[in-house]
Amino acid sequence: MAHAATHDHDHHGAPKGFFQRWVMSTNHKDIGTLYLIFSLTMFFIGGAFAMVIRAELFKPGMQLVQPYFFNEMTTMHALVMIFGAIMPSFVGLANWMIPLMVGAPDMALPRMNNLSFWIMPFAFILLLSTLFMPGGGPAGGWTMYPPLSLQGESVAYVIFAVHLMGISSIMGAINIIATILNMRAPGMDLLKMPVFVWSWLITAFLLIAVMPVLAGAVTMLLTDKYFHTNFFNAAGGGDPVLFQHIFWFFGHPEVYIMILPAFGIISEIIPTFARKPIFGYRAMVFAIASIAFLSFIVWAHHMFAVGLPMGAEIFFMYATMLIAVPTGVKVFNWVSTMWGGSMTFETPMLFSIAFVILFTIGGFSGLMLALAPADFQYHDTYFVVAHFHYVLVTGAAFSIMAAAYYWLPKWSGNMYSETWGKIHFWSSVISVNVLFFPQHFLGLAGMPRRIPDYNVAFANFNMISSIGGFWFGASQLIFLGVVIHCVYFSKKKAADRSWEGAKGLEWTVPSPAPFHTFDVPPVIHDDELAHGNTEH
Amino acid sequence: MHATTDADTGARRKRARRTALIAAAFAVAVFVISIVQMLKV
Repeated sequence: MAHAATHDHDHHGAPKGFFQRWVMSTNHKDIGTLYLIFSLTMFFIGGAFAMVIRAELFKPGMQLVQPYFFNEMTTMHALVMIFGAIMPSFVGLANWMIPLMVGAPDMALPRMNNLSFWIMPFAFILLLSTLFMPGGGPAGGWTMYPPLSLQGESVAYVIFAVHLMGISSIMGAINIIATILNMRAPGMDLLKMPVFVWSWLITAFLLIAVMPVLAGAVTMLLTDKYFHTNFFNAAGGGDPVLFQHIFWFFGHPEVYIMILPAFGIISEIIPTFARKPIFGYRAMVFAIASIAFLSFIVWAHHMFAVGLPMGAEIFFMYATMLIAVPTGVKVFNWVSTMWGGSMTFETPMLFSIAFVILFTIGGFSGLMLALAPADFQYHDTYFVVAHFHYVLVTGAAFSIMAAAYYWLPKWSGNMYSETWGKIHFWSSVISVNVLFFPQHFLGLAGMPRRIPDYNVAFANFNMISSIGGFWFGASQLIFLGVVIHCVYFSKKKAADRSWEGAKGLEWTVPSPAPFHTFDVPPVIHDDELAHGNTEH
Repeated sequence: MHATTDADTGARRKRARRTALIAAAFAVAVFVISIVQMLKV
């Protein structure tokens, strides 16, 4: 299959000059690479902010920074990691892999693709520059609740940065929808698409549905601050809690925007290294769609403590718990795919197995938080911090690392060092638990989140958590080293089908993937697709 | 076998542009509605 993939790619290769190649690029692979480099850079910047937080919390008392700067660090860490690291890395993976997986020559709208990416660096330069402005950057938390978030003079810059990120995300999502719905090779039916492509199609619909809501919310913040409107100003007849409703109507689907593509990645990797087709392909697709739908009707579980009517608390509690059903289907199917498989444990598989186990821990603590009566104890404590870091670090970030190791041979044409990959994995998986698991106990004991100092009763677990934090941060330098070595110095060349059990169109093109692929659509043979035989 | 011509590819790109326009219109509508709804509160 895919014989047409390579015969005509040499007649026009990559542009020669740096500016033409990278700044003016309309090539999905180059733009994917740009997204991935950008997100890795943001990952280290956001990580540096986290190091400041953990250093200050190493022991009780004020050590290193002023309280306002600490609050800036917690706010910036979240904004940079969510909008700068996790989301763009998934968009980068989508750019690289979706056209290759569906047999398309490029994204449907290549020039808009270029614009989507190049908005991002400006948005983050704007956001990060607020740290150097008089009065400092945002310090009211990434949730930007008014009236706290409206203090300070950098509000307009932060809101403009959020608008730019939103525009970039929406354009990226539109491009992905247009590509998947219109650019698939003949024979690549919707229910033959890889689960990663399905996960991104559903995520893209989530993005265009909720990013404009965030844009609307921050626009109203802007007018409240500078144009004397009173959307959220209680003194003028507005309602601060209204902002929380709007924000979390965006914010909860946003959580799934950061995890659904991870589900897709894991659903590609586990079948490859278990050497079995994924168990329950259709159930996996419908589970993703169900989770996406439910994400719209659970937002107020973030707000149990604001004083909702009892009926609302009960509705949002049960709706939230319902999400455990499709999520459970996914975990069951990943385990069933591994069951009886001829498994090997290369680095992508190790990260995927860690994902299944540790993400499930994050899911279980999410179920605990969904219980409205119990949430009154957990709310705004380190238990919540532990919960969402299990979901976003051992969930989303681990899946991105798994994806990087899995597709790096296809991107670079070289194999990475398996030894160093495994050192990175074991160092990360141990340290991340040293970092975040004690935070459950801190939260249950009542330590509030977003504070620079704390009661001495919390000292031991905080010290352990900080040691884990420094260790986890240092471990990611190994990842950087492995990637640089693989791309520039590795002598071990990758085969076209880099993994023995890998199936799908992307493995039929040479490694590294040529600059242009599938200029002529490939001929699809079902038995070569990861999910080709949907009748079984 | 599927013989795909330049005309087919052109038609697919045209359809893709239409899909993108519909999606963009949807996003703009959500943005406007999210603010207009609040004006009524």
